[in-house]
Amino acid sequence: MTQPFIAMQDLARRFPAPDGGSTTVFEQFWLGIERGEFVCIIGHSGCGKTTVLNILAGLDQSSAGAILMEGKPVDGPSLDRAVVFQSHALMPWMSVEENVAFAVSSRWPKLKHAEALKHAHKYIAMVGLAGAEKKKPAQLSGGMKQRVGIARALSIEPKMLLMDEPFSALDALTRGTLQDEVLRIRAGSDLTVFMITHDVDEAILLADRIVLMTNGPNARVAEVLVNTLPKDRQRETLHEQPDYYPIRNHLLDFLVRRSKNFVPPAGYDPRKPPHVTAGKAGGIVDAAD
Amino acid sequence: MSLFQDPFDAKSELAACPCGKHHSLSEHDAAVAAWQHEAQLRTAADEEKRLTNAVDQAVVRALLPNDATRRRVLHAIGAGTLLAAIEQFFPLGHAREAFAQSGKIEKTDLKVGFIPITCATPIIMAHPMGFYSKHSLNVEVIKTAGWAVVRDKALNKEYDAAHMLSPMPLAITTGTGSNPIPYTMPAVENINGQAITLAMKHKDKRDPKSWKGFKFAVPFDYSMHNYLLRYYLAEHGIDPDTDVQIRSVPPPEMVANLRADNIDGFLAPDPVNQRAVYDGVGFIHILSKEIWDGHPCCAFAASQEFVTTMPNTYQALLKAIIEATAYATKPENRKQIAEAIAPANYLNQPVTVVEQVLTGTFADGLGKVQKVPDRIDFAPFPWHSFAVWILTQMKRWGQLKGDVDYKKVAEQVFLATDAAKLMKEVGLAPPTSTYSSFKVMGKTFDPAKPKEYIDSFAIKRI
Amino acid sequence: MKMSFRLRAAVLSVALLVAMLATWQVATMGSGTAADMDPEYAKLMGLTATQGKSAMPGPLDVGKILWKHLADPFYVKGPNDQGIGIQLAYSIGRVALGFFLAVIVAVPLGFLIGLSPLFRQALDPFIQVMRPVSPLAWMPLALYTIKDSGISSIFVIFICSVWPMLTNTAFAVANVRKEWLNVARTLEVSTLRRIFRVILPAAAPTILTGMRISISIAWLVIVAAEMLVGGTGIGYFVWNEWNNLSIANVINAILFIGVIGMALDQLLGWVTRLVTYPE
Repeated sequence: MTQPFIAMQDLARRFPAPDGGSTTVFEQFWLGIERGEFVCIIGHSGCGKTTVLNILAGLDQSSAGAILMEGKPVDGPSLDRAVVFQSHALMPWMSVEENVAFAVSSRWPKLKHAEALKHAHKYIAMVGLAGAEKKKPAQLSGGMKQRVGIARALSIEPKMLLMDEPFSALDALTRGTLQDEVLRIRAGSDLTVFMITHDVDEAILLADRIVLMTNGPNARVAEVLVNTLPKDRQRETLHEQPDYYPIRNHLLDFLVRRSKNFVPPAGYDPRKPPHVTAGKAGGIVDAAD
Repeated sequence: MSLFQDPFDAKSELAACPCGKHHSLSEHDAAVAAWQHEAQLRTAADEEKRLTNAVDQAVVRALLPNDATRRRVLHAIGAGTLLAAIEQFFPLGHAREAFAQSGKIEKTDLKVGFIPITCATPIIMAHPMGFYSKHSLNVEVIKTAGWAVVRDKALNKEYDAAHMLSPMPLAITTGTGSNPIPYTMPAVENINGQAITLAMKHKDKRDPKSWKGFKFAVPFDYSMHNYLLRYYLAEHGIDPDTDVQIRSVPPPEMVANLRADNIDGFLAPDPVNQRAVYDGVGFIHILSKEIWDGHPCCAFAASQEFVTTMPNTYQALLKAIIEATAYATKPENRKQIAEAIAPANYLNQPVTVVEQVLTGTFADGLGKVQKVPDRIDFAPFPWHSFAVWILTQMKRWGQLKGDVDYKKVAEQVFLATDAAKLMKEVGLAPPTSTYSSFKVMGKTFDPAKPKEYIDSFAIKRI
Repeated sequence: MKMSFRLRAAVLSVALLVAMLATWQVATMGSGTAADMDPEYAKLMGLTATQGKSAMPGPLDVGKILWKHLADPFYVKGPNDQGIGIQLAYSIGRVALGFFLAVIVAVPLGFLIGLSPLFRQALDPFIQVMRPVSPLAWMPLALYTIKDSGISSIFVIFICSVWPMLTNTAFAVANVRKEWLNVARTLEVSTLRRIFRVILPAAAPTILTGMRISISIAWLVIVAAEMLVGGTGIGYFVWNEWNNLSIANVINAILFIGVIGMALDQLLGWVTRLVTYPE
C-alpha cells in the first residue's frame, strides 16, 4: 500500500473541560489525500473541521495522531501548504502588491524587491486584479480582497492549498465568479486542495471527494462522498448533470438528519471511512487508499 | 567694614569709632570711604601688597578675634613676632600667594548659583560690575528656584560655589535634612537686611502677643529667618510651634500668598519685604537688625572638595567676592549696585524696590519714609560664634538630635581656621578664639556656653 | 451651507473672544483714584498702591508684552535673562530628548511584554505601582542620584512619557489580530521580520496614541519641572516672572505653553494618521 500525498492518521483534539475531565471535539480522524486531489470537508459548526485544517496548516496541534506529508511528519507551518483564510487576512497597511510580495519574499528571501513585485504581479493578474496592485485592501470589495488572498497563497507556489470557507462572507454572485476562478486556475495545475465549506453546491462544483463529518463533540468522519460528476463541470450547467440532484440530496440528507445521530454501519472502520457515491452509480465503493 | 580695620594697631580703641583713629563714627566712616576710594585708584602692585596685608589681617583676626585679647598679645610680642610665629605653622606665604592669585587658576569657567534676593548682592554684582573678570574668572551666575535646589545643585557639583543661607552649610555638614557631606562656608555675604512684614489688615496689631493663630512664612527651615522669627516670637511668649504656624515658602510666593490672605506675615529676605510694601500688600513691622544687630544671613559656600582641589580658583573667587563685598559696604555705591542687579538677568525687580533696600531710605508701608542706612550691610568674616548660635537654635527647635559638638562643627564649616590648635602650637595662652559674644534682643550669648544658653530659654523643643 | 456654518462658528468664536477681552479689560481697570499720600512716599510705591491699579494686568498690558516677546524672541542678556523663543526651545528640547529616550525604552519593552505572557505577568505589578506616581515626585530622587538638574528634568520627562507608551505598546502588541500572525506563521516569517513587517505596523496606531498621550503629559510636566529646577526653559520663565510678580508675563507664558502644547499634539496626531490604516 503506497503512502498517500497527505496521510492524516488517528487525529483527535481534546480540550480540558471545566469539570476536570476533557472534551473531545473530534477523534479517530483518518484521511488520505492524493496529489492533485480537491477535497472538501462538510459538517456542522463545532465538528472541528477548522481545527483539522489548522492542524494540517501547522497552526494548531492535535492531541493525538499524526499527519504525514509525502511521508514526512507535519509539525508546524510550512511554505509547502498555503492557507486562504476565511476573512482574507490581508495586512491593511500594505497595498495589494505588497501583500503578495510579502509572501513572495518570505518564500524566496534572496529575491530582490523588484523581482518579488514582478512575481506578485503575475499572480495578481492571474486572479484578475491587474490594475489594482497599488490599492489598499480597504479600497477593495470583499470579493476582490479574497482574490488577493488567493493570489497571495498561490504566489508562494505551494504543493497544497488550504482554504477555510474562503467565500462564505461573500454574496452569492461574487462567490460564484470566485468559484469559477478557482476552477480555472486549478485546471492547469496539479495543486492539491483541502477546503472547508458550508455550501453544498460549492462542494459539488469543486471537490473530487467530499468528507462528511458528524456533529461534535466526539465528531468523526462518517463517510466520504466521491463526486461522480464529469471533471470539466461548469457552474452554469452543473444542475443539468444527471447525478447532480442525487449527490446534492445525499449531502443535504446527511447534514440535516444523519450527522446528528450517526450510527456507524456494520463493518465501519475509522481507519478507512466508507466511500460512497450517489445517483445512478449509488452505493458503497472501495475506500480510496 | 570691619575687615579693613587694622588689627595690628595696638592703639585702636573699642569705643564709638571702630578703628580708634577718629573722634566719632561718622568721621571714621568718612575716612574709610576716602581710603577706599583712594584704594580703587591704586596701581595693581599696590593692590597686591594691600591684599597680602589683608590676608595677614584675616589670619590674625581669625586666631585672635577678641579685640581685647588680640591687643594684649600684640602689645606683648609685637606684630612681626606674632606673624613669624604664625608663619611657622600656618602657610601664610602660601595663603598670600594664593590670595594674590599668583598660582595658575585651575578652572576659569565657573558656575555660581544664587537666589534672587538682595542678600546675594556681592555674588551677583561681582558679575555685571566686573569683579570676577578682573580676577580672570569667567563666572556665570545662575538664578535658582529655591534653597533645596541650590543645595542639590551644589552637592551635584553643577555649581562650583553657591549663595546659601548661612545655616545651610551647617545642616549639610551635620546631615540635617540631607546626607552629611563636608561643606564649607568661606564667607558671610550680608548682615541684617531682613524684616518681618505683616499683611495690611494687621496694621494695628503691632504687639506680637496678639499674634496667636497667625500663619507665618519663612524661606527655608534651615534659615536665619526661621531662627530669628522663632526667637522673636518666643521672647514675646508666643510658642512658634503651637501658637502660630510657620511654613517654609519660597520667597517669590510670599507676596502672592500675603495678597491671597493665605499667610498673615513673614520674616523674609529683601526685596520680598519691600516688594510687599511696593504693591501695597503689607507693611514692614520691624527690621531684623532690631532683633539682632549684625546677624549674619546669607553666605558664600563651597564644597570642601572644591576648596582643596582647586585652591587657586577658590582663592580668586573668594577674593572677587570679598572685593565686591567691600565695594557694597560703601553707601555711595549702593544706588549704582541697585541699578546693576535689578534687571531680569539678576533680581528681576523694579529698580526702586532694590534701591530702597540697599540705601535704607524706604517706604515702610504705613505711609512713612524711613531712613535706616544700615538696614542691610555686607561683611564677609565668618565668626565661629555665629555658627555656634545657629547650631544652638537648630538644637533648640529640635532640628539637631543628640549631642552636638558645637565648636567642632562650627570650626569645620566656618573657615576661620582652627584657632585653638594653632594657638597651642605657638605656645600662647588658650585663646578666647574666633568667638565673640553678642546680644540678641538684649540677651547676651556666650559662645563658650551653648548648652547653658539653650537651657536658659523657656520655650524650646528639648 | 457648510461654509456658512463654519463662518458662523468663526464669527461666534471671535465674538466670544472680544467679549472676554472686554470684560477682562473693564474688570482690571481699577478705581483709578490715587491714594492720598506724601509725594516723597508715593515715589517709593508701585502703581498698585498709589493709583489703585489692579494687580491683575488687563489684555492691553498683556498684548504689549506679547508684542515685545514676538518682536525679539531670541535675545540673550546673560544666563538668567533670555528671549521667550530660546526658553521655549530649551523646553521643547528637553521634552524631545526625554520623549525620545522613552520611545527607545518603552516600545521594545512594550513589545517584550506584549509578546511574552510571562513577562507581562512578571512586570505587571511594577508597572501598576510605578505608573500612578506623579513624575515630579521622582525629581528629588533623580537630582540625588543623577546629580545633574538638566538630566534630571529630562529623566522626569522620560519617566512620565514611558508609561502611556509602554502600556499602549504592550496592549497593541498583545492584541494584534490572530489571523495576521497566522499569515506570518504559514509563510514561515522570521521573528524579526514578523515584528517589523507585521506586529509593528499593526500596533502602530495604538502605540502612536500612547505617544500622543505621553507628549501631552510631558509638556505639562516640563513646565512644572523647570519651575522646580530653574535655569532655563519656559517653566523657569514663568517662575522668574512670578518672582517679579509680573502676571502679564505669566499670562503670556500660559499662551505660549498652550500654543506649543497644541502644536506638539497636532504633530503627533498627524503622525498617528500617517500610520493608521483603514480596514
